[in-house]
Amino acid sequence: MTKTTSSIGQNIRLTLLLSCLCQHAFADGSNIGKVYDPYVNQLEKEFEYRTLYEDGIGLQETSLHSYRFGYGQAISDNMAAEIYLLGEHESGSPISVDGYEAEIKWQITQQGEYSNDWGALFEIEREEGGIWEAKSSLIALHEWPNWIATGNLSLIYEWGDSVKDEWETAFSGQLRYRYKQSFEPAIEVYQAQNIQGIGPVLTGLLRIGQINKLNWEAGAIVGLKSDTPDLTIKINLEYEFY
Amino acid sequence: MTRLFGIMVLTTFFTCMPVLADTPEFTLTIKDHLFYPSELRVPANQKVRLLIINEDPTPEEFESYELNREKVILGGRRTVIFVGPLRTGEYSFFGEFNMSTAQGILIAE
Repeated sequence: MTKTTSSIGQNIRLTLLLSCLCQHAFADGSNIGKVYDPYVNQLEKEFEYRTLYEDGIGLQETSLHSYRFGYGQAISDNMAAEIYLLGEHESGSPISVDGYEAEIKWQITQQGEYSNDWGALFEIEREEGGIWEAKSSLIALHEWPNWIATGNLSLIYEWGDSVKDEWETAFSGQLRYRYKQSFEPAIEVYQAQNIQGIGPVLTGLLRIGQINKLNWEAGAIVGLKSDTPDLTIKINLEYEFY
Repeated sequence: MTRLFGIMVLTTFFTCMPVLADTPEFTLTIKDHLFYPSELRVPANQKVRLLIINEDPTPEEFESYELNREKVILGGRRTVIFVGPLRTGEYSFFGEFNMSTAQGILIAE
């Protein structure tokens, strides 16, 4: 009974924290894309492809396709590194590669060791126009028998020739139902200064051969603020191998 | 902003407080690409600590969708995996690198 009460108390604290942070998140760039889990699996390598289709951005009658192609691998039993090429395709314009990014993920606690699992993510990105962004994120995950809640809270510093140097914060979260390995429905929320979105996401894992896997994720995030795209379609594919 | 990160630090501290003082430990050994024992009984409704010893010279990955765990153990090394609290029932696991032989069941009772 004591442990149950303690666990409920810790869950309430985590929920209050994430709710509080969600209300206080400020960032003017879009953080819609991926909600990171805190885990690193030793020896694992991956190719990653992400695409976002944003329709109806603010008052503009335009759409934007953005792409991200990455390669990552574990560098120890609790650290992984990944590099990305970033590209964009605005309606009526050709595809362009206009940025790159590097990230390090640190698994802070063992999975299941405490009532929540914790990790951290450190990213640095250079975009077109000499815009730099450094981002540190705290990753929290809570596991129930059939549900998993994950939150990413980010502190961002943006600088460059064409932007105002500033600190920002952002939050993204996911609540996922573990239906079966190849198919798990989820709901995701995103909050930043000009971004407020929510929507359904489907995700799953497919085995390719004995030890290779394809993680897939597809979702539709509906904008809740005028500056947020009315609809963002996201597709993430991760090919994991050893 | 200062208040925000104050809340973060405090919450991280409180939610990371160990709850493991009474966590029972069970040992699984990997040898010749097999799990020993292949059937492991653990208490239900309680977190347990699995010590996994890989006696093979090659790495193995302990994986179980039912237990929501996936972890690589290098050859000749050992690791710890926390599972539960589990409802009463059977939870299959396997070694992903030698799936045809490395199979086991965790029975929570």
